Amino acid sequence: MQLLSVHRTFPRFKQLIFRGYSQAVQIQNEDYTDAPVYPPILDLSLPAKKLRTRQSLHKKIQNINTVEEKQIALNMPRYYGWQSIVLNENKIPFNAMPLVQHYTRTHFQLLDKLPDIYAESSATADIVLQEIKSCIEECIVTENEGVERNFVTSLNIPEKQQIADAHTRNIVKQINRIILNNLTDKVSHVLSSQVDYNPRHEAFWFVGGVQLPSTVLKWRKKQKYYKNRLHEPLDRPVQYKGSPLLTIRNHLPLKPIIPYSEIENPDFKVPKFSHCPKTVGYFTEFRHGTNIPGFWPGDFDEFGLLSFHGRGHILDRKDSFGQEDNLEALHCQAIQASFGWLLAQANYQGFTTFNDLTYPLVTQTVVTDGQMVSFYAYQLNTTVIHSDEVDINPKHNICFGTKPMKLYESIENGSVKGLNEDVLKMLIQFYLNAPEERDHEMKPYLGKEEQIIADIEDDNKRCWLESTYKHLVSNRPKHNLIPEVYDWEKIYKIQFNTRFYEARRRPFELDINPFQRRLDEHLPPYIPKVLRPYPKSKKKFETTYYPKV
Amino acid sequence: MSTRWYPLYQRGNPQLRVFLPNFWMKLVRSSVNQLPNVVQFHCSMEMTKHDIKNYLEKIYNIPVVEVKTRIAMGKFRKDVGKGYIVKDDDIKFAYVTLPKTMKFEFPNIFEKKKGDTEDDMKSLDEAKKSFKGFIQRNKDRSDVPSWFTI
Repeated sequence: MQLLSVHRTFPRFKQLIFRGYSQAVQIQNEDYTDAPVYPPILDLSLPAKKLRTRQSLHKKIQNINTVEEKQIALNMPRYYGWQSIVLNENKIPFNAMPLVQHYTRTHFQLLDKLPDIYAESSATADIVLQEIKSCIEECIVTENEGVERNFVTSLNIPEKQQIADAHTRNIVKQINRIILNNLTDKVSHVLSSQVDYNPRHEAFWFVGGVQLPSTVLKWRKKQKYYKNRLHEPLDRPVQYKGSPLLTIRNHLPLKPIIPYSEIENPDFKVPKFSHCPKTVGYFTEFRHGTNIPGFWPGDFDEFGLLSFHGRGHILDRKDSFGQEDNLEALHCQAIQASFGWLLAQANYQGFTTFNDLTYPLVTQTVVTDGQMVSFYAYQLNTTVIHSDEVDINPKHNICFGTKPMKLYESIENGSVKGLNEDVLKMLIQFYLNAPEERDHEMKPYLGKEEQIIADIEDDNKRCWLESTYKHLVSNRPKHNLIPEVYDWEKIYKIQFNTRFYEARRRPFELDINPFQRRLDEHLPPYIPKVLRPYPKSKKKFETTYYPKV
Repeated sequence: MSTRWYPLYQRGNPQLRVFLPNFWMKLVRSSVNQLPNVVQFHCSMEMTKHDIKNYLEKIYNIPVVEVKTRIAMGKFRKDVGKGYIVKDDDIKFAYVTLPKTMKFEFPNIFEKKKGDTEDDMKSLDEAKKSFKGFIQRNKDRSDVPSWFTI
């Protein structure tokens, strides 16, 4: 080596070194083809380049092998979480229907009876109905008059709502028990299903076609970079949070309500809603996007059949909203809940808000308070609603729903008066709707061998991913708080430069935007010297396994 | 509306009946693109949501579905001449939701009527003509001020 570098000191020395192994350059014939082959011509305008970067991100997320890594990948751009619009199951503002329909891309149809697909189970349902009628009546009476339960109420939710939902939960548990017990030997899927009480349902997606918030517009006006693209669309992250009273799930998915070929039918219209969500009464929260259908990835029963939701929140709505809006609020609740649950299930199949479903998923939703019952059947056809696709995606999700109907008229002298058999029959038909095996691939975007992180062989990687994923979806507050801009700084440093003589040390003075920090922009855990591998290791920090997106 | 505070009631004094509380509401154009059935107001800082609802319903017979309020911090500005920073007063905003079927459009207060532009042009022409006449009359005594004339 020394000899070779001598030429720098003695420029003429290089000529003296004999290059014994050098050869003339050979012409490689593989580089030449008969017809000229050119690279594809790309549009080099800024919007096209931006679109290509976004599409490559979507492709990268699609190519990730495991479910959990995809969820981490969705959250990679934000260390402090996405500023998400929160759709809460139990907080529905006035006139929310257009917003909910746009955000879930759902066409809603109000029916008097269940969709046609349920007709085949009608005869069986009649038989079951006669068998369980008396049991149902008895359980309704017992739950309403025979038992006095003490509910522990919390302070953050209105008391009326909590008591109503707790009461409903008991009735739903009993009715579910009665129907399941009766159906176990009649239909096979009931025995193989799982029942969850108060599961955690969360879903996260991006919505396009929403007007820019005034703060963003104000910021863009100051930037030279945004001069000609002030109104460029912006994706808004949306988070659904809900907790049904009871859900039933199975290892097989339900049959589609309408065939997959018909979902591009333009008759299924979805109203556009471009107003800021703040104008309706939806607010934002910084949180990591989570997709949780009530179980962790790797559970065997990963398709939902039926979920029961309370309607106690209606009691907490203002009287001035009126009956009509309360009815719409129920529809909103059902649409949100069905979409949220199915989207979370779709995420466990490897689809995300950027990678569209390749087959429909179906769920059934019941919204009830023990007496009033409304039924909804929901078919999820698409999960892609972000701003690149919101105007061109031909697919829509479809929700069929009924008005709330009375299960019984009243309870008099310890017996139920006027049990509505039609309502009970509809409920039994929901249970009788059997899931079936699909003849197409269910998880096209997941790996062949690695589908969840539990499949990963590397111990370090598996354990690291598991703890990171669980920590991420727990949404616990960060150990170090977000750097704050104090009021005095805002006034005397940002708005008016009155302290120009002071050293610039705060993040906003160094042009650091904490909200642009990526998830992996942190120092990995330090390895103390004693724990480093023997004899010598220069590796000071542990390896991280964040997905490369 | 009254602009003064009523004195605090002390025992023994004659009872005060407040007929004109310090309440006012000012209809303003929406700062963001609101829904057609939402109206934005500035209002007195003392008004609560219930007050706003009653004010609109009882005095103006407006059906109110919901009232949302927020208090916006006043702007900071540098005092002209003095150089120190002062803060404007805070403003209470009220967002009043009307029934879904109703639609509110902010009135165009300084609307130009159909004949307005024509009238303006006519008067401008007249002024031009009289000025030309004035120049014509005084063309041989250009150094004399305009008030020095018959």
